[in-house]
Amino acid sequence: MARRYDSRTTIFSPEGRLYQVEYAMEAISHAGTVIGVLSKDGIVLAAERQATSKLLEQEIGSEKIYEMNDNVVAGVAGLTADANILINQSRLIAQRYLMTYDSPIPVEQLVRQLCDLKQGYTQFGGLRPFGVSFLCAGWDQKFGFQLYQSDPAGNYSSWKAACIGENFTNAQSILKQEYKDDDAAEGVDGAATQMSLDDALQLACKVLSKTIDTAKLTSEKLEFATLTLKDGRPSISIYSSAEIDALLEKNEAVIKPADN
Amino acid sequence: MEAQFAIAGKDFVVSVTDKNVVHSIVKMKHTQDKTWQLLPMTLMSVCGEPGDTDSYAEYIQGNAKLYSVRNARDLSVGETANFIRGELARALRSRNPFQVNLLVAGYDKEKKEAALYWIDYLAAMAKVPYGAHGYCSYFLYSVMDREYTEDITLEQALDIVKKCIAVIKTRFMIDLPDFTIKIIDQNGTREIEQSDL
Amino acid sequence: MSIMEYNGSAVVAMVGKNCVAIAADKRLGQRALTVDMNFQKVFPITDRTAEERIIEPKTFSNLVSHMLYERRFGPYFVEPVIAGLDKDNKPFVGTASDNLFGMCESLWEPDLEPEELFETISQALLNAVDRDAMSGWGAVVHVITKDGVITRDLKGRMD
Repeated sequence: MARRYDSRTTIFSPEGRLYQVEYAMEAISHAGTVIGVLSKDGIVLAAERQATSKLLEQEIGSEKIYEMNDNVVAGVAGLTADANILINQSRLIAQRYLMTYDSPIPVEQLVRQLCDLKQGYTQFGGLRPFGVSFLCAGWDQKFGFQLYQSDPAGNYSSWKAACIGENFTNAQSILKQEYKDDDAAEGVDGAATQMSLDDALQLACKVLSKTIDTAKLTSEKLEFATLTLKDGRPSISIYSSAEIDALLEKNEAVIKPADN
Repeated sequence: MEAQFAIAGKDFVVSVTDKNVVHSIVKMKHTQDKTWQLLPMTLMSVCGEPGDTDSYAEYIQGNAKLYSVRNARDLSVGETANFIRGELARALRSRNPFQVNLLVAGYDKEKKEAALYWIDYLAAMAKVPYGAHGYCSYFLYSVMDREYTEDITLEQALDIVKKCIAVIKTRFMIDLPDFTIKIIDQNGTREIEQSDL
Repeated sequence: MSIMEYNGSAVVAMVGKNCVAIAADKRLGQRALTVDMNFQKVFPITDRTAEERIIEPKTFSNLVSHMLYERRFGPYFVEPVIAGLDKDNKPFVGTASDNLFGMCESLWEPDLEPEELFETISQALLNAVDRDAMSGWGAVVHVITKDGVITRDLKGRMD
């Protein structure tokens, strides 16, 4: 009888739950970890690629981190095929906004429109929800740097540091301990933190080294991206493998203690 | 046969529109305000086919307000003008285009500058220091070309408005007895009477 | 008078040695009436410095051509000109407005260096618009080289 409320996404169980949506979230918690850290001069996204094989052609582009618009970059956890659809949609939404208003889309609007799309699949007939969570790092004129997390149900929320994917509870508790929050001094662009971009990169490295089950962090298994401001305009940089290796080497000290 | 023009300075725009409503050869009304307050910081003056003017302006006003409610943020003047142009261009290529000429004036709080956009019924748009539509533009551009300076003050702009109205009164065939004169700056919009110029 | 001349304009592009130049006047009008004397007619499509995959000029021309042909029987009243450098920095140029051809014919020669190309395109455009009441009010010239884009404003007969 348990299956009575499982088979369709649109049906509530007697306890008021939507099982298919919960299963989708479960699927995400087994996907490669993605971490986002807000700093006073930019945002860091870091992601773990899972299941690499030496036979696999090394992808030229990235597989976990995508540019959604000139001012928004996102890390995904979940089904890559589902993510591709949503990434494509988000790029379309952003360009459509640019065409209508001749200005870059505010970050929250992009995230909300994307989440509206996700929500639709939890309610309307016979389809399954998108098995994808996003961490969206963005910048806009009004609110400055912002980091959003979204889930398959279509909820989204804004964070100073967040994590999705495998071991996310673990990662989140490390982020909570290590994140240098400063409520007294309201930082630039409304981000209440004293952390610099380098601090954020270091923190991301540290968290990944503790959450990923591997002897040594390498560029093959990782992706990094930053969103910063250059001459008052947002600038996205997705790291090459050489840049990732350099970053790992620089932060060796925090990675080394293998106490996990 | 309508008169519609505006002059922008660094931190203000003066918008001037006649008040006539004409049907055939009859003047139906001479106290009509043809400007629309789209947002606290954005004013649009509309001339053209009667009926089209109101319905298009109402549509734009509705959409500008809808955006504010949905996104807890007002569109800037530039964004509004671009939206207006886009909708006009879309309608132009449909079965029911709008025959309206527009001037969108406003103050951009983020950029801290005033802006004026000139849009015609073919959806051509230009950001201009001063602009005009209709038959009157043939007289008014000469006056504004001669008098306008880049660092113009509000007093100087109002002086140009005075001269423009004088030209219309002396040279234009149609009688335009009164004008809506509005000033937009960082404090919003205020109206002044022709007699106060 | 054709609808193509309603707003009035002159746009031209030329090829040089490992460089291209594109230039346009700055007037926007309604037939004989000038509305704006500082109107932008040249728009960047991609950034030379952008990495990975950016659209090639030839591919982009093809795309624009298709977009225009889609509206073959209810057309967009535009005549675009496309200029850019491709992967091997080989220059690429599209079509140009007809009243400029005469000037270009006499001034242009193959393999001009960026500065020479700038002079040539400027002379061609300014002389062409001086004989046209529907365009003018100065011009803007962009010379695209592999190192970046040089942009300069020209003053012509400002009337």
